[in-house]
Amino acid sequence: MHFYLFLKIKTVKGRGGVNLSENELLNQVAEAVLSFDENKVIEAVRIALKNGVNPIDIIEKGLTKGLRTVGDKFETGEFFLMHMVAAAEITKKAIDKILQPELSKSKTQRKALGKVVIGTVAGDIHDIGKNIVAAMLLSAGFEVYDLGKDVPAEEFVKKVREVDADVVALSALLSTTLPMQRVVIEALESSGLREKVKVIVGGAPVTKEWAEEIGADGYAENAIEAVNVLKRLLNLT
Amino acid sequence: MSGVLRGQKLRFLTKREIETIHNATLEILRTVGIKVFSDKILKIFTEAGAETNSESRIVKIPEYLIKEALKKAPKKFILYGRNPKYNIIVDNKRIYFGLGGTPTPYFLDLESGEFRRPTKKDVAEVTRLGDALENISFIMTIAGAYDVPYEVQYLHEYEAIFNNTEKPIVYPAPGAEIAQYALSMASAVAGGEDELREKPFICLYSEPPPPLMMAETDENLIEYANHGVPIALGPTSMAGSTGPVTLAGAAVVSNAQSLAALTLIQTVNPSNPVFYACWVAATDPRTGRHAYGSPEFAFSTSVINSQMARFYELPCFGFAGCPDSNFPDAQAGAEAMMMTLMNTLSGVNLMHDCGYVAGGDAGSMEMAVICNEICGIALKIAKGIEVNDKTLALDVIREVGPGGHFLSHKHTLKFLESGEIYIPKLFNRISKEAWIKAGKKQICEVARDVVRKILKEHSPEPLSPDVQQKLREIIKNAERKKITR
Repeated sequence: MHFYLFLKIKTVKGRGGVNLSENELLNQVAEAVLSFDENKVIEAVRIALKNGVNPIDIIEKGLTKGLRTVGDKFETGEFFLMHMVAAAEITKKAIDKILQPELSKSKTQRKALGKVVIGTVAGDIHDIGKNIVAAMLLSAGFEVYDLGKDVPAEEFVKKVREVDADVVALSALLSTTLPMQRVVIEALESSGLREKVKVIVGGAPVTKEWAEEIGADGYAENAIEAVNVLKRLLNLT
Repeated sequence: MSGVLRGQKLRFLTKREIETIHNATLEILRTVGIKVFSDKILKIFTEAGAETNSESRIVKIPEYLIKEALKKAPKKFILYGRNPKYNIIVDNKRIYFGLGGTPTPYFLDLESGEFRRPTKKDVAEVTRLGDALENISFIMTIAGAYDVPYEVQYLHEYEAIFNNTEKPIVYPAPGAEIAQYALSMASAVAGGEDELREKPFICLYSEPPPPLMMAETDENLIEYANHGVPIALGPTSMAGSTGPVTLAGAAVVSNAQSLAALTLIQTVNPSNPVFYACWVAATDPRTGRHAYGSPEFAFSTSVINSQMARFYELPCFGFAGCPDSNFPDAQAGAEAMMMTLMNTLSGVNLMHDCGYVAGGDAGSMEMAVICNEICGIALKIAKGIEVNDKTLALDVIREVGPGGHFLSHKHTLKFLESGEIYIPKLFNRISKEAWIKAGKKQICEVARDVVRKILKEHSPEPLSPDVQQKLREIIKNAERKKITR
């Protein structure tokens, strides 16, 4: 009798508020993130979906919760940037592979803090810093579209239009590729998109003065600052 | 002052471990390859016999090509100074220190103590400083010309450097076009392309991007090789981000970059002088930054670097200076000493980055002066001792006898005069009272005074007005061609 009741409770979807078993499923997703094991995360996400948990909740109350825990442990020094990047990459895979298709099916929109298009500018193939920033932004709850490295200005513009982005984040490591950040801003202007996005720039040779000179909205010296700057620009603090 | 490492070089890795790293590198080059973002370089590798895929841009280099390249690369050569007294003899014994490295985006202002953007004037001044410092043997930079059009930044830097030193110069020139302009500027100074080839006073500094890539800007390797000018390789693999977190694996990545670049260079110009390097940096797990002052970087740039170089019988390029500390303070001193001593005791031929601070983000003239002292100390240790009748001084010991003193003995005076005891010019050994009386100055303050004095008093032999004019013309041409906005 007990056994049957237990089974029944497990498969029943709660009406209105989240019931205990749904919490368990979401916790499983969040904990899987902390294992840094892609298979575990995907498994936990699949189980949650199968048991009727809303994909939006899986993202916000499961995956993002796990990411936030990783972020907290990074602040205390227990975890490192590598953990942040690993957690972000695994989370992104789970969203792209399994959850986004579900959302597209039901035509639901994610409620992210904002959509960020990020990349290293044309002619530059350095991307470690950019990768770390992308991971931090994802952990903070942004939807991140990483265009990779050596990205021509037109590609930035195209993606901004395609996903209706809120932010363009540009990385450059060399003084010779730094000027490409200006080129992207000009491309956004001539496409009539400049007003629709906030542009932040970063990379070793970038200074506050350079960011001001090219008309960027903000600049950050490191990945953690990048998240704070973005939140400020988007009035999210 | 340069020196020779008299004793045995530091040896941590066994012969077997070195061979293992080498064989692992060959396997990676043969099976994983290098991604080459330049059609020109791709073509050269293809024609040389490597397995190339023009779609994936992957170049897989077979062992025989690398073996040939290693055979062709010279074991000895000379890097000339505009003044021959500064010539650098590159062999397996001599060691030299250099000012700075690639241009720094920031500069620690001497007077204000604030970080600011460096200018062409700063490049000229720091070059003059390096020209004066006695333990600096070659010049790179601890500034950058950020007040000129970016399209010709490096050319303006070359102009400032050429005009302000007679010592050999090691410097980057990213991309084929900039390389060509830089080479024509250098030819103007040398008196012609043939003169430059015969007595090169410049050396290209090149950092192919890890892991396992060659950028389009690496076409400069072809240009410099075509002119027979030496090339120094600086392939850093950052353990944990651009290389495996385990140092041995990251060394494989760095070594692969080096051997690939070496193969390219020797294909373009057999027996072109090259400085080999194998560098592994720690990726700081909390900031993601390249940790210059890390024990990992100190170890790899000294021990792994030089042991691999000796295995390949090639001269190598490494580090002195370069702290992570943002200021010339105790941390900076410790980090600089660690790097300098480790590299010196490993017999690394050319050691650069003296005067860098902030993990390479900024240059500091005070730090350059402090490093000059550190280099002097390292050279003294490297010099070792001679054990012979004169130095054993048995007759002196007999003369002085038990309970006597050696202070005034002729032998003492003689050997003091020939430098038996190192006398620091910057670091102080005065008593507390004397130090308090002299104003309780911290060493960076004293260093600042030294910088002021040098900048006031020192100037190298100027270039002829003819050559100065030629350099200006080359830059004007370059500006006309390259500045299209």
